[in-house]
Amino acid sequence: MTRSRLGRAFWTVLIVLALIVAMLPFFFMAITSLQKTTSAGLSFDLSRLDLSNFARLFTDYGFGSAIVTSGIVVVIACVLNLVVASLAAYAFEKKPFPGSEAIFVVYIVTMMVPVQVTLVPLYTIIKELGLFNTHLALALPIVNAFGVFLIRQFMISVPNELIEAARVDGASDLRIFTRIIIPTIRPVLAALAVFTFITTWNDFLWPLVSVSDNRMQTVTLAAANMVGNLAQQYGLIMAGATVSFLVPFVMYLILQRQFVEGVTASGIKG
Amino acid sequence: MHTSIDHAPTVSGRRVRPNDQRHGTPRRILRKFGGVPYLMPSLAILLVVVVAPIVMTLIFSFTSYSILQPGEFVGWENYRALLADQAFMSSVKQTFVYTLIVVPLQTLLALVIAEIIAKRFPNLFGSFARSVLFIPVLSSLVVVGIVWRFLLDPRAGVVESLFRFVGLEQPNWLGRPFLALVTVALVTVWKNVGYFLVIYYAGIMGISRDLYDAAALDGASRVQQFVYITIPSLRPVTFLVVVLGTIWSFQVFDLVYTMTGGGPGGATTTMVMSIYQAGFQNYQMGYASAMSVVLLAIILVISLFQRRLMGKEK
Repeated sequence: MTRSRLGRAFWTVLIVLALIVAMLPFFFMAITSLQKTTSAGLSFDLSRLDLSNFARLFTDYGFGSAIVTSGIVVVIACVLNLVVASLAAYAFEKKPFPGSEAIFVVYIVTMMVPVQVTLVPLYTIIKELGLFNTHLALALPIVNAFGVFLIRQFMISVPNELIEAARVDGASDLRIFTRIIIPTIRPVLAALAVFTFITTWNDFLWPLVSVSDNRMQTVTLAAANMVGNLAQQYGLIMAGATVSFLVPFVMYLILQRQFVEGVTASGIKG
Repeated sequence: MHTSIDHAPTVSGRRVRPNDQRHGTPRRILRKFGGVPYLMPSLAILLVVVVAPIVMTLIFSFTSYSILQPGEFVGWENYRALLADQAFMSSVKQTFVYTLIVVPLQTLLALVIAEIIAKRFPNLFGSFARSVLFIPVLSSLVVVGIVWRFLLDPRAGVVESLFRFVGLEQPNWLGRPFLALVTVALVTVWKNVGYFLVIYYAGIMGISRDLYDAAALDGASRVQQFVYITIPSLRPVTFLVVVLGTIWSFQVFDLVYTMTGGGPGGATTTMVMSIYQAGFQNYQMGYASAMSVVLLAIILVISLFQRRLMGKEK
């Protein structure tokens, strides 16, 4: 009896320790961002707590425009990815045509190629299209075959009889798509939206190479740039990291289920 | 309502007796390819941002394309240069070393924590723990890199005070060549464990309870159950976790960029970092493309390996 209670205490301590290790860095990030000091350490003085670091992010380091840019890019990426992917999945799953399966295989193959590999030509193409330093340029590479694959998997569960019945009633393909397909696949759309949101918000390498205009900086890019520029202004750097962290974090608190579903599904794509 | 009744006979007639229709009429071809317009937007975007860049990477890799010249065909020149490029070869080696540290460690940790939570805490505390451990996953690599760089910075003194607290000297985490690579790898593990934990947890919950009950009746201890039931049952999951972890490791960039910038002395420069430096700092696009092809080849081999083994499992 005591042995099992001892065991339980041991495992509890172990898990609590893991939780502390997972959270402590964010805790230090937050308290440092609230202090004016340039060196933090473990001391934390409540009386020195102030928001001036955050104020300076907006007045001196362009975080206001970065938030607007990130917001616009996220919205474009989400809308584009959801609309385009669900239409394509509808074509593949419910309106196949000769050759569509072959195209789908190409889609699957492209999922094995990470964006890091195609960076140079992507840069060239976006430049040639005259899209440099536009929101669209930051959103376009977010669209990939994964969304199509994910939605198609889900769309299989929409019964064909339902679609046939609607067709018999004279419903057009588009009407079937908007009235039958979309309502049924809503859960997977929510998961994909959350996943796209986070991927876009956290995206770094593509904005790093493709943004040359400071006003087009995303929040993640702005936060990263502060490290190089500010050396030991820890409070300020941590404030930038905190802003960049808070958006996915708050979203996670609200939409935890969609979040885990979306992120987990991304792993299954392999 | 009225119109739909008017149309009904034709529509249903077509559906009921499809073979009566003559092949090859324009209307029928149109119907056959009715899905095309729905695919078009997706196909157009994918062609521009995914398919064309893949093809162009291959083509560029055989040219001298750079900021100075539009690029001429140079055959295998870039690839030959790569083999002689010490910096690139060490970035390949470092990426492999990084992967060899990250993948086993994060896989093992995720598995063990998932098992503890699933078996000891099938309660609110357990689900709270999973939620909290997921927070490093949703945070961007940039934030993780910035924060850990700060924590490990001896001038800021956060981790240093912890070490002093237990009476140890803090190592120069990011200042010594090999240690810096290990440190970046450990931070990666810290970030990824929560993700693979979620996958493992789902896997463990999917194992039939009967197996454990039967084993318990036979007197198997918890550890024995873990070794002889959980681990073998999770083989496909472990496979996914290892392959995914490996592919992610080969793509590492953000963390290195924010934590070390590739230093000290190039000791943490990874393959993607090399591509970035060649393509966007030295503007040798052709050369960078050749590096990309090498990286792509490695990732494809891993993916195909996965597919073959996965096929065997089934």
